[in-house]
Amino acid sequence: MTQVFYYVFTLIFFLFDYFILAMGLNIQYGETGILNFAYIGFVAIGAYVTGAVSLPNSVGTGQHYILGLNMPFPFNLLIGGLTASAFAVLVALISLRRLRTDYLAMVLISLSLVLYDICNNFVPLFNGADGLYNVPAPLAGVLHLTTNSFIPVIALVTGVIAMFLWWVMSRITQSPLGRTFRAIRDDETVAAALGKNVFRKQLTSMLIGSFYAGIGGGLIIQFGGSFNPSAWLPGETFVVFAVIIVGGVGNNVGLLMGSLLVETLLVHLPAFLPAIPGHPGLIEYIDAMLIGVLLMVMLWFRPQGVVPERVRKSTVIDKLLLNSNGASAVGESLHDEEATSVSQ
Amino acid sequence: MSVNDVTTNEVANAALSCEGIVKSFQGVVAVNGASFSVPEGQITALIGPNGAGKTTVVNILSGSMKSDGGTEHIGSTDVSNWESYQIARMGLMRTFQLSRELGGLTVLENLLVAPKTQSGESLFNIFFRPGKTKREEHANTQRALDVLQTYGLYALRDNRARELSGGQKKLLEISRAVMAEPKILLLDEPMAGVNPALIEKIGGYILDLKAKGVTILMVEHNLNVVEKICDHVIVLAEGRTLATGRLSELRENKEVVRAYLGEVIDASSAR
Repeated sequence: MTQVFYYVFTLIFFLFDYFILAMGLNIQYGETGILNFAYIGFVAIGAYVTGAVSLPNSVGTGQHYILGLNMPFPFNLLIGGLTASAFAVLVALISLRRLRTDYLAMVLISLSLVLYDICNNFVPLFNGADGLYNVPAPLAGVLHLTTNSFIPVIALVTGVIAMFLWWVMSRITQSPLGRTFRAIRDDETVAAALGKNVFRKQLTSMLIGSFYAGIGGGLIIQFGGSFNPSAWLPGETFVVFAVIIVGGVGNNVGLLMGSLLVETLLVHLPAFLPAIPGHPGLIEYIDAMLIGVLLMVMLWFRPQGVVPERVRKSTVIDKLLLNSNGASAVGESLHDEEATSVSQ
Repeated sequence: MSVNDVTTNEVANAALSCEGIVKSFQGVVAVNGASFSVPEGQITALIGPNGAGKTTVVNILSGSMKSDGGTEHIGSTDVSNWESYQIARMGLMRTFQLSRELGGLTVLENLLVAPKTQSGESLFNIFFRPGKTKREEHANTQRALDVLQTYGLYALRDNRARELSGGQKKLLEISRAVMAEPKILLLDEPMAGVNPALIEKIGGYILDLKAKGVTILMVEHNLNVVEKICDHVIVLAEGRTLATGRLSELRENKEVVRAYLGEVIDASSAR
């Protein structure tokens, strides 16, 4: 029974963690239209850096890595997120200035492969193919947690962080900045003709999204205590894409739904099923196939996702603006009915 | 009357001027040394046969496209090959020949994107100066609703822009540009593919904008419209400025007649 209890909290952890990752990818792809096929690379940077700053100096640990600062939670996580953001600046300078859509996607997926090869082969950086392990659990020292009792705690901590980041993201997407992001997504030539510095706005979007990727990655290494290249094969990016496409691009509630359906129910729940005798690992392959099929079915029949992007009605915009003084811009001096419809 | 004599006198009160604009696409020369100036506070028509390079000139003047050579001035500022957003911030707005609405946004949001300096576009202000952001947004929303009212799109304010009809999209293009409070407005065939009643209406809107002091350059094929509302005409042919002047004068110009006006003069004499 206690086993089941921990399984449930593991699922809750992944639900919230992938919700964070989905929000990060959504601001880039769903809101701004940047097809970031290197997303998992930013997650990995967040994870590695969070791990490397929480570990002690690498001398005598049997591992090779940079940093090693013994940094406590939540500062390690913050550093992981910020490093992922810094990396986004680099990537944006290389790729976003000149490339668009398909070409940008190709360059980004290449960058993610390059990053993968570097981390996998250059041992002094993050211990090569073995990856980082023995990463201290957050708050474990303070709360005297055992390996098991730690699981509900990190699930809860992740939930709290996810809720905070959700609040932050809502503020951004409802702001004029979010609207400008969507304008760039819909037609960047028009956005530029309206005086928007498209590159700078895309850079801002990359920064925000990559910070979320870094935080999500940092939580993953804190949860498992280890992280290595097998955890972030470049194809993992598409699991996050599946989360946002199934859930609903451009809608934060949709992203939570997507995380529940894809990451929690499809990816992690089957991991607790007993293996099929004689076919170890078969379940994971079936899993991957199911995600692919689900993605295709969704794109075919319901491309807007389970919970589609909202139409931001003027009354809603108005309420957000005027909840303090009760006045209303809509209908103040204007009458719905007198407005004309244009023939043709 | 002839081509390249843009006198200094003309440039002095030109809101927008260009000289020697050149642009080719993989060897095909689209614009070949176009030079003209757009007088301040007037409506100028840019006419010419199909393929004369009118849209390319509009794209270059608005910064949506880079030229291969030539200079451009807004007032006395040299803006040659500036980025689109920088030119927009100088007060030059444009519309597109094929309407380019921001489809996923509502009609109201399309307008709300337009104001140039919005403090709510900075992350810092969103979180640390929410009051200022809200007040600005409130004022912009008020103004956007007024503009929508003027252009007859108010009832559609909550529709996604991609759901509009062709004529409505034309109006949205213009109202979005107006929302940005332009000093100079480039209209690329604002009346193409719309019905006569709406042409009349759009003509009225353009005259209203002129009355408010906006300088307008419009690409237009309909010479009846040009005759009615435009003060000044620039004829482009084969990427060059063929002639400039009033339409009545240009009708006497043999070169212009041969390149463009021939049939139309016949038609109008039958009228």
